[in-house]
Amino acid sequence: MNVHSTGDDALLEELRDMWLTYDPPPSDLVANMIAAVAAADLDQEWELLVLVRDSAEESAAQVRGLATARMLYFTVAEGWSLDAEIDGDQVRGQLLDFDGDMGSVEVVVETRGAAAELWRAGLDEFGFFSIEAEPTGEVRFTVHHRGHAVSSRWVEL
Amino acid sequence: MSEDSRTEGQSDESPWSKASGAFIAWRSGDARAVDELVSTMTPVLWHVVRAYGLDRQAAEDVIQATWLGLVRHHQTIADPKAVASWLITSARRGAAAQARSARRADPVEDEKLHAALPDVESAEALAMLDDEAAGLWNAVASLDERCQKLLRVVAFMDRPDYQSLSHDLDMPVGSIGPTRARCLAKVRTALAKGGGR
Repeated sequence: MNVHSTGDDALLEELRDMWLTYDPPPSDLVANMIAAVAAADLDQEWELLVLVRDSAEESAAQVRGLATARMLYFTVAEGWSLDAEIDGDQVRGQLLDFDGDMGSVEVVVETRGAAAELWRAGLDEFGFFSIEAEPTGEVRFTVHHRGHAVSSRWVEL
Repeated sequence: MSEDSRTEGQSDESPWSKASGAFIAWRSGDARAVDELVSTMTPVLWHVVRAYGLDRQAAEDVIQATWLGLVRHHQTIADPKAVASWLITSARRGAAAQARSARRADPVEDEKLHAALPDVESAEALAMLDDEAAGLWNAVASLDERCQKLLRVVAFMDRPDYQSLSHDLDMPVGSIGPTRARCLAKVRTALAKGGGR
């Protein structure tokens, strides 16, 4: 600041006060922004995994004839996706088109409500994971990678 | 007058240090600290964005996009002290882009349109209610658009990022400092002509 004359700084401050006084932000702006940031769910859901296909709603997709299996396909804006297959007491899946190091990824499957449970699994080098778990009710998938977490919405099984 | 004069009458802590403090707290796990960061910086972002002549709705959209950008890209900010500049630069770019596309769609200058809009009481009208402010407001209004923009942005920035400012305002980096001084001199001249001081 000291490269400028103090007179300039004083005038600039007067101008600043003028703009503060005569063009103040809308009274609800700060509250709206706090809400927007909160809705972005800072500490967890950086970018929701969006369910793009659920075999329960598309019976034709069950080409493998696994009557009990349910396939879920999620995708994120970044381009990678998660496929999950829930079959009896097994949850298997694969992370696709993911650029990062598969070894540093952890997949978490959780249910909520009275029977809330949580299962974790790492990926193999091809991005596959397998968990012995029997999720019921509402379930969601979270992909953890280097301190970030991306969660899907809750899916009703 | 020193840098301290900038914060006179407000809190004793500058928005810049408050912002970096809140940012550090948030990143180290205090989820509520982000509210303080948003409260501290949103009013500053408002003035930066409005300098580009955006209407209130568009200004609000740009500010919201800026915050969501921070949520997504905060890990790219290596120095927490830079969070305020990061936000301001991001808001300014958003505003510049928005202003460019708005100009393509609408040949009427936003500044002129504002005065005609029944929005809220316009800033101009409010300033006119107060003689002293009217003098200052008129002096600023008599400047060319680039001067107005530059002064408003630098008034709300501690250390302007000349590189990106030069891109937004389409002027050489080396001329921003001198232009700032020239624009302020023009304000003084206009004030003197108006019989103000």
